[in-house]
Amino acid sequence: MTARNEPVGPRPLRAVPDDGYTDWDAVYQDNATWVYRTLFARVGNRADAEDLTTEVFLAALRPMRLTASVAEVRAYLRATARTVLAAHWRETLGRQITSIEDIEQPADSEEAISTAPQRVAQVLDRLPDRYRQILESRFLQGNSIKQSAAELGISVANAKVLQHRALRLAAQVNDGGRP
Amino acid sequence: MNARGLRRYVDDLLRGRRPKPFTPDDFEAAQIRTAIELRAARQGADVAAAPRQEFLTDLHRRLAEQMAGTPPAAAQKQHTTRRQVIVGTSAAAAAAVAAVSIDRAVIGDHPTEAPVAAGELTPNNGTWQRVAASSEVPDGRMHAFDLGSVSGFVRRVDGKPQAVSGVCTHQGCRLWFDAPDDRLRCPCHSTSFAPGGEVLTHQLPISPKPLPTLMVREVDGVIEVFAPPHPDQPA
Repeated sequence: MTARNEPVGPRPLRAVPDDGYTDWDAVYQDNATWVYRTLFARVGNRADAEDLTTEVFLAALRPMRLTASVAEVRAYLRATARTVLAAHWRETLGRQITSIEDIEQPADSEEAISTAPQRVAQVLDRLPDRYRQILESRFLQGNSIKQSAAELGISVANAKVLQHRALRLAAQVNDGGRP
Repeated sequence: MNARGLRRYVDDLLRGRRPKPFTPDDFEAAQIRTAIELRAARQGADVAAAPRQEFLTDLHRRLAEQMAGTPPAAAQKQHTTRRQVIVGTSAAAAAAVAAVSIDRAVIGDHPTEAPVAAGELTPNNGTWQRVAASSEVPDGRMHAFDLGSVSGFVRRVDGKPQAVSGVCTHQGCRLWFDAPDDRLRCPCHSTSFAPGGEVLTHQLPISPKPLPTLMVREVDGVIEVFAPPHPDQPA
């Protein structure tokens, strides 16, 4: 038993732990960026990432106990983001496409925010050159289909087909070699 | 199969637009997942992976409105995304647990909605009722009681008795005391509370309220709680 409240009378005031936040503003300022990045890494576009981040903070801030430690607040925000992301996939594609895993690392660490760069590097490594090139050009460098076609020295129509096939193969590699 | 839906989805991702819903099969879902990871793996000059300053500022303003107690419905008027309904619902649920803001009220940014009294159960028509002999509640022991009108747990902290309600603040399931973990647990939704009533863990989208404390005293070797009369014996 460690509580130190007075037993009777009105609910006593409790001190905020040294490592906690002083108000909702501090919670927001300190955590908005990693929450957004965590969600962006799982939806891949800004519009959805912004909507979901908004949802997380609108839902999470008011009921939050400010007496919680920083680590507890972050775990709570990550759990809220997990719920919000799951609902997003249920509503839009009817199935879970990506998720926010339970992990040991702190929620604001790079490993927790996104493992996409490492996973993508592994997948690209295992693709034939042309497939890798079109995916790098289109997805990573953000080139238009015209630019990518010119870069690879092929027609736009061929570039579209190449991208389509490359993504199919990458998805098979990514999902563990499923045909 | 929905080749067109998939193509459009990937196209939207590549153009930085909001993708449109469709119903993918397993393999299409895997391709979407891969496309998302490819977009998320971009580094360097591309800033979509980091939040826009305008977005952060705008969200900060909306949160300030919410935290100042602006009715959520009014604050939502100008935003017409498909999430409006969900967010509105969450905000309403959040408002229902305003008592949790006791902690916040201590800090002082929330004077308008500080139901400080909600932390303690104070019946209109209560009497002091025996819940245990003093000897039944040694230091560190959680003693369950049920007065018919109120049930809860009493324990001794630094020699003085304290009592909390034994009913979960989420949907009213009866709590049990997990002695090895030193916490009260709800059998319904895995919520757990500290012996003092604070929420320790929950899996709900919104944190439930802490447990109300009960007025308690120790007189002549008996621990008593201030509670309303038993429902079968109206005062």
